[in-house]
Amino acid sequence: MMPNRIAVALLGLMCFPTAMAQAPLRIAAAADLGPVLPPILEQFRQSTGIRAEATFEASAALTAQIQNGAPFDVFLSADLSYPKRLIDAGLADAAGSADSSTPITYAKGTLVLWAHKDSKLPPPSLDLLRSPDLKRLAIANPDRAPYGRAAVAALTSLKLYDTLKPRLVTAENISQTAQFVDSGNADAGLISLTSALTPRLAASGNYFVIPRGLYPPIEQGAVIVSRTTQRAAAHKLLDFLLSTPVQAQFAKSGLTPVH
Amino acid sequence: MDWQALTLTLKLASITTLILLAVAVPLAALLVLGRWRWLSALEALAALPLVLPPTVLGFFLLVLLGPRTAFGRGIIALLGHPLAFSFSGLVVGSVIYSLPFAVQPIVAGFAAVETSLVDAARLLGASSSRLVLSLMVPLARRSILAAAVLCFLHTVGEFGVVLMLGGDIPGATRTLSIVLYNQVENFDYAAANRTAAILLALSVTALAAIYIGNRPHGGRRA
Repeated sequence: MMPNRIAVALLGLMCFPTAMAQAPLRIAAAADLGPVLPPILEQFRQSTGIRAEATFEASAALTAQIQNGAPFDVFLSADLSYPKRLIDAGLADAAGSADSSTPITYAKGTLVLWAHKDSKLPPPSLDLLRSPDLKRLAIANPDRAPYGRAAVAALTSLKLYDTLKPRLVTAENISQTAQFVDSGNADAGLISLTSALTPRLAASGNYFVIPRGLYPPIEQGAVIVSRTTQRAAAHKLLDFLLSTPVQAQFAKSGLTPVH
Repeated sequence: MDWQALTLTLKLASITTLILLAVAVPLAALLVLGRWRWLSALEALAALPLVLPPTVLGFFLLVLLGPRTAFGRGIIALLGHPLAFSFSGLVVGSVIYSLPFAVQPIVAGFAAVETSLVDAARLLGASSSRLVLSLMVPLARRSILAAAVLCFLHTVGEFGVVLMLGGDIPGATRTLSIVLYNQVENFDYAAANRTAAILLALSVTALAAIYIGNRPHGGRRA
């Protein structure tokens, strides 16, 4: 996809020399922001005149891409470990915040148990997790997807992990986890509230919010990629994401505001 | 090195290749010998898995084989469990995914058999199955071998379909390409390098053995 975009951008530059002055701010964004971020970036453009374009991918994949020189200006991860890894490698920073070596937490994620409305099993609840009729439970890959890590932590707190382990199916990311359930192949899934609130899944299923005490908070961290040429614009975007109206919008989309 | 995943991958690739040869030889014979005009449409259909991105193909299969379609419900009633997230599900996905790699070379091989030989066999009263099995298959054996090798390797390297349809279950659906991808994504580059090196070495050795065994004395065209 990237080479294509670059080709289109180059073509655009050749046709309109003025476009050169306004390269968009490139955002590497965690997959769980897919349903949330586009309208917020549009508001950002309206209020600041800065155009920002987001690429949605698993945080781990984005980290590997940035490590290898991908042309992003800002990285919005789904956890703190990946942006921290970039800071430690000297590739990113949180300059401007209180501690420039710690990613800026811009939102927190919420884990939910989601099942299809026409499922024959009881509606999503902790009892559903204990039900012997739950044959297949979809989770995101716990080795790298933050929601997958949270899912395993929650099941472990409930002392259900060992029982359910043979019945787990692992998806690559949180949206694939939802597809496993939505297609009817898994009975239920532990997914993000942002996914559960998308129109498609809100119409086809029900969710149960996993009690917060059962898993460590899914803190989502932002960093500025050090080689950016648009540091001022990148700071404006981070301030915008932390502003009260945007934080309120996060809350409506299934993320927990940080203040 | 995840030997369980390697064994599983080789098993999947072998079964897929055998099924594909059993399907593709009669299909290719039909496409080459048949006079029915809609056969071109069938040939186009057999090439379709090449067009879709593998993860998307995997997603469609996930939906098709799941309980939300009549087809999927039929399969579940037949087997007692859904095909997704099982080894047999991967076999079904792999057969569809690699179908063009079996059909295309065999069609080309059959089409290259001299028409005069086919006509002579027909004049001598050979049935269609005799014609295919005793004349065309031996003459097109190189194309069939090429098809088998392509299908096998394509299945070993298959990723998107397995990712969508498999659910990463050790011993059932965790193939070597998934292991390799997991290692890369978890930043375990040392392990990924080892896995990739073993995979490449095995493939090159196996391929060279096949090609040497199949090389006539005095060169390929002798």
